[in-house]
Amino acid sequence: MNRRLLVGSLAAAVLLAGGLAAALTLSGGGSKTAATTVVDSGPISRLLDGLPQHGAVLGEPSAPVTLVEFADPQCPYCAAWAEQALPTIVRKYVRTGKVRLVFNGMAFVGPDSETALRTALAAGRQNRLWNVIDLLFANQGTENTGWVTESLLRSIGATVSGLDVERMLDERSSDAVDRALGQAGAFARSAGVNMTPSFAVGKTGGTLQVVRISSLDPTGLTPSLDAALGS
Amino acid sequence: MSDRRLRAAILVLSALGAGIAAYLTVARLAHVRVACATSGCETVAESHWSALGGIPVAALGLGGYLLLAATALSRSDLARALGAAAGVGGLAFALFLLWVQAAEIGAFCQWCLASDVVLVMLAPAAVLRAWRAAPPRGAPSRPARRRPAPARARRAGPAPPRR
Repeated sequence: MNRRLLVGSLAAAVLLAGGLAAALTLSGGGSKTAATTVVDSGPISRLLDGLPQHGAVLGEPSAPVTLVEFADPQCPYCAAWAEQALPTIVRKYVRTGKVRLVFNGMAFVGPDSETALRTALAAGRQNRLWNVIDLLFANQGTENTGWVTESLLRSIGATVSGLDVERMLDERSSDAVDRALGQAGAFARSAGVNMTPSFAVGKTGGTLQVVRISSLDPTGLTPSLDAALGS
Repeated sequence: MSDRRLRAAILVLSALGAGIAAYLTVARLAHVRVACATSGCETVAESHWSALGGIPVAALGLGGYLLLAATALSRSDLARALGAAAGVGGLAFALFLLWVQAAEIGAFCQWCLASDVVLVMLAPAAVLRAWRAAPPRGAPSRPARRRPAPARARRAGPAPPRR
């Protein structure tokens, strides 16, 4: 092979690389990094607007009753509960200062669960966990299809007022989020929770009782909350 | 640098690049978080730029590095040319991916940058190796070795009768 042929083969290699680059761009690389449309950000931000958040806790820290939600971001029933029951629970119990709501994330469905949960926990470091987790539920995709994309997370973050999106994404792999993930898993195990959504109710600072709900609407929990408030 | 040293350098650099690409490929297929000082690796790995038709881009890189390593094991002209083409093509694609990280994803994967550094050294080595062996146009592909003319065998036996 002489040098002219060699230069020709090198040029062909560069063209082949260009073809690969074009194929990568056309296969969706370019279009899918564009902002993903986030559904339902308005109602969620209105629901949570003005409510205090401290990490995973929504509502007044001094509220007499604590309600813990055990949920996996990929669990469809958790998404249904967030849509059907959460607004009533928040308006009737949290906004009135009666109940503090604690999100105890679990990530057993698959890799997308952990990605989503880490993002929510990182948002919790800016006291925006509830906004992010509810938007994840509202935009939930099919389990383990890779639906928790960077684009979706950025788009969700961009709709949350006061959230530093880059900081949230950076802190997903932080020690603090690692610890929070471990503590949430340990608490779920100690409570004997092995399905989602599950709930635990009790006096704040006291022993919590796991509650099995029979329906995904607010009536699945209101008797337990009323009982805890009344006792 | 002698051809032997060039081949050794190509082999070592290809092994290094293949190691990086294999790690990223396995991490992606096993859904394992890549060890990274920032969130950049995760951001890049989760982006849609990280796979082509379901094949992880890191796996394409692994194939390229293995091809380069294989060409370093051969002394043939074809292997030299193939190695140079793989090196230059790989470098061009790596530059495109570097642009993607900077302009499209907005995050850098440290492992990808390490692979880029390997390619920046590997591609010139592979081209140099092929260039040295390729003569200018018109020249024979290999210099003909002069061999001493074989001595004429003397016929044994009695000389033919003169007429």
